[in-house]
Amino acid sequence: MKIRDITIRAGRSLKQAKARTLLTSLAIGVGAFTITLSLAAGAGGRAYTDQIVSSNTDSKELVVTVQPPKSQQGPQKYSASSAGSVFSTAIGSTEVLTQTDIDRISKVTNVVSVTPNYNPQVKYITRESQDKYVASLSTFSPSVTLTFVAGSTNGALADNEIVLTQDYVSALGFKNAQDSIGKTVEIAADKLSAPITAPESTTFTFKIKAISSASGLAFRAQSSLLVSSVAAKNLYDYINLGTRGYDHFAVTSVMVNNPNNAQSVKDALTKLGYRAQTAADILGVVNTFINVLQGILLGFGALAILTSVFGIINTQYISVLERTQQIGLMKALGMRRRDVGRLFKLEAAWIGFLGGAIGSGLAFITGTIANPIISKALDLGNIRLLLFSPVSTLVVIVGLIIVSVSSGILPARKAAKLDPIDALRTE
Amino acid sequence: MIEVKNVTKVYGKKDNAFTALNDVSFTIEDGASVAILGKSGSGKSTLMHVMSGLDRPESGEIIIDGKNILKLKQKDVDKFRSKSMSFIFQSFFVQANESCYDNVSLPLEIADVAPSRRNRKIESALSAVQLLDKKKSKAKELSGGQKQRLAVARAIVNNPTILFADEPTGNLDSVTGGVIENLLFAYNRKFKVTLVIVTHDLDLANRCDVQIHIIDGKVDSMKRKKK
Repeated sequence: MKIRDITIRAGRSLKQAKARTLLTSLAIGVGAFTITLSLAAGAGGRAYTDQIVSSNTDSKELVVTVQPPKSQQGPQKYSASSAGSVFSTAIGSTEVLTQTDIDRISKVTNVVSVTPNYNPQVKYITRESQDKYVASLSTFSPSVTLTFVAGSTNGALADNEIVLTQDYVSALGFKNAQDSIGKTVEIAADKLSAPITAPESTTFTFKIKAISSASGLAFRAQSSLLVSSVAAKNLYDYINLGTRGYDHFAVTSVMVNNPNNAQSVKDALTKLGYRAQTAADILGVVNTFINVLQGILLGFGALAILTSVFGIINTQYISVLERTQQIGLMKALGMRRRDVGRLFKLEAAWIGFLGGAIGSGLAFITGTIANPIISKALDLGNIRLLLFSPVSTLVVIVGLIIVSVSSGILPARKAAKLDPIDALRTE
Repeated sequence: MIEVKNVTKVYGKKDNAFTALNDVSFTIEDGASVAILGKSGSGKSTLMHVMSGLDRPESGEIIIDGKNILKLKQKDVDKFRSKSMSFIFQSFFVQANESCYDNVSLPLEIADVAPSRRNRKIESALSAVQLLDKKKSKAKELSGGQKQRLAVARAIVNNPTILFADEPTGNLDSVTGGVIENLLFAYNRKFKVTLVIVTHDLDLANRCDVQIHIIDGKVDSMKRKKK
């Protein structure tokens, strides 16, 4: 008997037991639904972090910190060299980078520039006859992708220019974003080393170069105002010169001449006792997190499929019992054992196909409906967090067909082994 | 020609052993109509199963057209059955939820007849039993007589050389039973098909060329009709 004929007969006998077929398929569909969604979420999540990392970092950039001691159990030992240079962070304390470190790092082959993260702690930002607002400043990096509401940096920012975020436009009394371009703002800073009795402060004037928009990809840069690294250093110097923490940095960014050299520079820096992270490393950390979450979801899907396997076995056993006579007749007419077995395996395959198609179809519909809602709730703009790919859907369906066929093996064997004489005696 | 030589079939083992066929031998010419008569439990159905290769006897030979089918592999017996034998049963065994067309199509599919050649064969089989107008109806919508006619169509669709009928009229009233009988004998005569009918109906048996009486698993008598 030809596979084509067996397939058609298998489909037909499933059609005759519509409710049972549908219910069994639905069981497997639950698994298909979960797995398709988790694959979509994983793909979407990875694409999202990929976008975040690539628009916030540069593959030529390394983020360098001092390597923490190998096994940090209990408090760290005091050493004279690092006296007063321990930088406290939320996670713990790490040693900091000084000018000596920066000079050492600069000498590593393929390193183009070393820029410490200045992050000057300014007092406020304001403009003539306007209120004063708190502001946090970051260093502009041409490699970070920004989206602009008005104006544009065109990849460069002069030392007297600033990029503001959208919130400051109306706060600082501009009519609209376009209106603010080219206008000036003032940033006030305190000299920290000045004695309490004689505080010293000054204002720096910047021209607004561009207004950046809040984006779904905002990671670090867009949330603060951006100035050139020279301007940041000037501010930093004014604020911190003469304090204990001056010229001590927790983090510095290192630019290499070519993305391909990032790894070799990283290795060289590791040897020197620094911890360097490439863009790929940062992406890796975030993706590990996504992969774990996806793994958990996939586990639930697999569990649902395992449950449906027993459903299929049960349904197919009942089907064999119900159709004992039919099996007997087919065997009497000369149908081979192998073909009888195939008939039941193909029925199981149909169930798997239906379940997979129903499950992934529902997942696709759910995802299409949910995507804009999720994006809106998480303020992601145009980014879709659930990415469905035809290939993974196909893999899910084919996988489920294989699972169903394997669960159909036992009932199919029972059918193939039926003695036609006994089967035909059944009234 | 069908030769049955010293066939013995035992069911069960040791103390429970039951000899269904005991050293049965006879010969049937091609194109003959044969009635196998006997009471229930006499072994007549077992004889049919053995002759068609559905059941394997402990000893003996079944030689059809010079080939001992008991020596063939299961695969080849199945193939032989699909190409040259067919069956009609007392309780029809038509697939209630399938259309008449699909019911008749089954033997062709099993025998690997090319799809392009099926339609003509199915329609001529259905018209031979006057069911062509019911082609698309489900088998469950048919009356008992119609169901058995459908079974006849299914049995003749692939032009078998041997047709086994197990109590073909047992579930039918005399009028519809007569129709089935006429169909079978007409087909037997027209196409020189060997017709083997298992029955306990003497009237039906009297219409056959050969009558084989089975009592307690043994051939009691074999009568040939004088031509």
